[in-house]
Amino acid sequence: MSWINVCEETSLPIGTGVAAWVAGKAVAIFNLGKDGLFAIDNVDPATGVGLLARGLICEMEGELCVASPLYKQHYRLATGVCIEDNSLIASPFDIKTEQGQVLVLAKA
Amino acid sequence: MTVSKPKLVVVGNGMVGHHFIEQLCSLGLNKTFEVHVFGEEPRPAYDRVQLSKYFETGSADPLMLTSAQDYQDWGINLHLNTPITAIDIAAKTVTSAQGECYSYTRLVLATGSFPFVPPIQGNDRAQCLVYRTIEDLEAIQAAAQTSLVGVVVGGGLLGLEAANAMMQLGVKTHVVEFAPQLMPVQLNDKAGELLCSKIEQLGVSVHTSKATTAIIDGETALHRMTFNDESFLETDMIVFSAGIRPQDALARVSNISIGERGGIEIDDHCLTSAPDVYAIGECALWQQKIFGLVAPGYQMARVVASHIASLSSDSPSQSFTGADMSTKLKLLGVDVAAIGASRGFDNAQFVELSDNQAGIYKKLWLDDSGKYLKGAVLIGDNSDYSRLLDMYLSQDEIAGSAVELLLAGAEDEADLKDTSIVCSCHQVTKGDIVDAVKAGSHKMAEIKSCTRAASGCGGCAPLVQKIIDQTLQAAGLDFNAGICAHFDHDRQALYHLCQVEGINDFDSLMRQHGKPSASGHTYGCDICKPAAASIFASLQNQYVLNQDSGHVQLQDTNDAYLGNIQKDGTYSIVPRVAGGEITPAKLIAMGQIAQDYDLYTKITGGQRIDMFGATLSQLPEIWKKLIDAGFETGHAYGKSLRTVKSCVGSTWCRYGVQDAVGFAIDLENRYKGLRSPHKLKFAVSGCTRECAEAQSKDIGVIATDKGWNLYVAGNGGMRPRHGDLFATDLSSETLYKYIDRILMFYVKTADKLQRTSTWMDSLEGGLAYLKSVVIDDALGINSTLEQQMDLIAATYQCEWKTSLEQPEFLARFNEFVNPSDAPVADANAYQRIREQRFPNIKDVGAGTIAIKDITEQQTTTDEVLA
Ligand SMILES: Cc1cc2nc3c(=O)[nH]c(=O)nc-3n(C[C@H](O)[C@H](O)[C@H](O)COP(=O)(O)OP(=O)(O)OC[C@H]3O[C@@H](n4cnc5c(N)ncnc54)[C@H](O)[C@@H]3O)c2cc1C
Ligand code: SF4
Ligand code: FES
Repeated sequence: MSWINVCEETSLPIGTGVAAWVAGKAVAIFNLGKDGLFAIDNVDPATGVGLLARGLICEMEGELCVASPLYKQHYRLATGVCIEDNSLIASPFDIKTEQGQVLVLAKA
Repeated sequence: MTVSKPKLVVVGNGMVGHHFIEQLCSLGLNKTFEVHVFGEEPRPAYDRVQLSKYFETGSADPLMLTSAQDYQDWGINLHLNTPITAIDIAAKTVTSAQGECYSYTRLVLATGSFPFVPPIQGNDRAQCLVYRTIEDLEAIQAAAQTSLVGVVVGGGLLGLEAANAMMQLGVKTHVVEFAPQLMPVQLNDKAGELLCSKIEQLGVSVHTSKATTAIIDGETALHRMTFNDESFLETDMIVFSAGIRPQDALARVSNISIGERGGIEIDDHCLTSAPDVYAIGECALWQQKIFGLVAPGYQMARVVASHIASLSSDSPSQSFTGADMSTKLKLLGVDVAAIGASRGFDNAQFVELSDNQAGIYKKLWLDDSGKYLKGAVLIGDNSDYSRLLDMYLSQDEIAGSAVELLLAGAEDEADLKDTSIVCSCHQVTKGDIVDAVKAGSHKMAEIKSCTRAASGCGGCAPLVQKIIDQTLQAAGLDFNAGICAHFDHDRQALYHLCQVEGINDFDSLMRQHGKPSASGHTYGCDICKPAAASIFASLQNQYVLNQDSGHVQLQDTNDAYLGNIQKDGTYSIVPRVAGGEITPAKLIAMGQIAQDYDLYTKITGGQRIDMFGATLSQLPEIWKKLIDAGFETGHAYGKSLRTVKSCVGSTWCRYGVQDAVGFAIDLENRYKGLRSPHKLKFAVSGCTRECAEAQSKDIGVIATDKGWNLYVAGNGGMRPRHGDLFATDLSSETLYKYIDRILMFYVKTADKLQRTSTWMDSLEGGLAYLKSVVIDDALGINSTLEQQMDLIAATYQCEWKTSLEQPEFLARFNEFVNPSDAPVADANAYQRIREQRFPNIKDVGAGTIAIKDITEQQTTTDEVLA
């Protein structure tokens, strides 16, 4: 397991997501400004299609989520667990910034 | 020793007979009497008023007012299929057709009426039917299956209802009326004429002033009806609806007094000439009057129940004091209402409004002083019925002039006095409803069960709903109009706030009017954000992906990437092909691009071409090529104008009367940038043959030799609906004005994701109200609406063109921030079928995933195509 440098912090627009390759896996990264960075699997577990980075950021009963663009399930940004069906999980990744670089912890 | 209970016998289990039983039970009299109810029909009471609904479902179940089980639970003996044939008023017994004899202490006759069949030679031939019971309707349905042409004899209220049913059953329908006009009982001649023309527009042929002389064998159809003027009509089936006669046969043979022209005579307690025998409902004659409506029958039922109760306790007994015969109904989709006297009388003054274009006719009669309302007739728009009825019943002096009364419209329909009767079927006043709402019944269903309002003929339901809403609002109670958890407002309220306060970004909207979370977040959700984006776009028509005001974060995927996302995460591309007209050169250019990128291509229902399978990063390149070839965005991804479909029209078609394509292109260009609560579709047909299917669109335009007919609020999709005729023979300029106003009013007032059809139905007063706003400027907002539309048309931009000029925008189309780290691509993602490329992912479509409401929340592939 190692931290992978994916991009510069400035290439993450605030309030939306981007997708990044992390050791062969697509990860959706969301930059919520003062609320921090979040990273979950980019693949929507309901459909198997990689597009969660393109979802709308939502707040559902106080929890930050992303709505899948296809069928609008909401996945919690912190845990990746789907609000509508907790058997669906877009697994979360650890993410941090160091000296202006965005680092994601790769999974084995 | 058991004391035997007194016996109560009821003959007839129709609407009124059943209502009487309900009253009886609510007074607990089912416990003190042994009750026997006899009904001739095979089933317990059903809703005869809604009889025609039988054809909608083909089943009697939804019409049932009660069940044998209910009667059993109440401890009442219900004998169905049991006509009573004799009463011995001296011995106080009744005898059934089966020969059984029952004694009674008190007897209630509720035998209703029977349809009058004129004594014409041949009236008993096959497929000569009537319209009163479920069995009658079954016979009509069976006859319609083998009939091409049908005739309804009688152009009154029931006749027109029968005509409607016949038409729905797919039979070419004629109405033959003896009088010189339709609905001679309720309407005056002008109103009759207008109704006639409206009904003929719907395809029913009306023949007035015709007396049928005989029905004989036909040459082209089963029957030939011959008339007094030597003319004839051939038809396969006939429904007689020439009036009803009170069912007084039983009373007649039992020596109970009958009126000269029929009907069982009753006094103010509904007692007949025989001791302890009452008559109620349509069989009863009170002061030489028969009441052919349910509401007076229900009143009689209450009177008798209270009279019987008063005999054994000191509860007061009510008396019957007559009933108002005013009616309001929709006949073949046309609003009709009559209040009080519908014809002139001595010294009457009147005011009259006749608008043939809008199809509205209204006339009010006043007394000789001009201060009191004596009667009214309304055709085409009966939205002010409640207000006028209230004025008529209360006989309050008219404030201001009668003309004002005529023009005042329906705006404050619910501003009735607390004592005004809102539901005449159950005698429920506005005050009753207000009290029930205050006591905690906030839903229509609750109000129905606790006050019974709107549970009779249903005619008062819209007004009841309005009173509920008003009361809730006045009490400051939340009637939960909020669009999502973050806002208590509906879309219309948000639109208004943004407009008045100049709010132009989501953060301000949320902080000023929404509910930021406990931690102060203003993220909103996938419901309020796109709704806000649509409002900002309608108000300012700014570039939807404006980064500075944060609009891009609000857009749903389709809008955010200006494409329609498909199930594999790729996008489809639909350039605008206005009016469906495209040059060969453009077709070739498009074909070349599709070939270069291996895009799946398909023609859409909206006469354009959809190209599927573009990846996010390909979108800008493809659009650059399209724009260079002269295309612009088709807004297929947005809630906005999709297409204006057209037929070829008078330029090529030998039937065409106007240039449908040219006009469609102009329309499409005017409205193409408009952001709306839901997608919009238009169509233009070059003549009445309607090849462009304009009546299934939000805005449908059909050419006539004098101009254009405008239809509004149609749609296809899951719940198809034909558009309503809005105005006829319009010039192009007027048509643009009307469409400007309708669309802008829709954009301003509709709820999120509400289509024009549901929006129009949700307006109190529906089509008629929309007409009054758009045509008569009832709200005085037309010039503002037009200005707003002008602004939107003037600030139109092709979003793709603007986007391509902004490098920071293009960065968003990189699928990955670090594309160089990508693993080797998976070559199996596509398969080829019929020489084109299709996604090769396992089927995890909508069918396998629970989705709350696919129509409202989703843009499905079909929708995108059309
Ligand atoms: C198509 C249609 C539309 C209508 N629309 C409206 C409307 O919009 N508004 C409105 O107010 N009214 C409307 N009416 C009228 C309304 O239905 C009647 O006013 C109401 O049904 C009268 O109720 P009733 O109980 O007096 O008669 P009915 O409902 O006719 O009931 C009488 C019952 O008694 C039975 N019966 C008769 N003789 C005997 C006997 N000797 N022994 C045993 N049983 C017997 C009959 O079989 C029948 O079931 C409409 C009627 C029809 C047919
Ligand atoms: S609607 Fe009329 S003008 Fe248009 S194609 Fe059909 S027949 Fe021709
Ligand atoms: S008026 Fe008939 S249900 Fe209210």
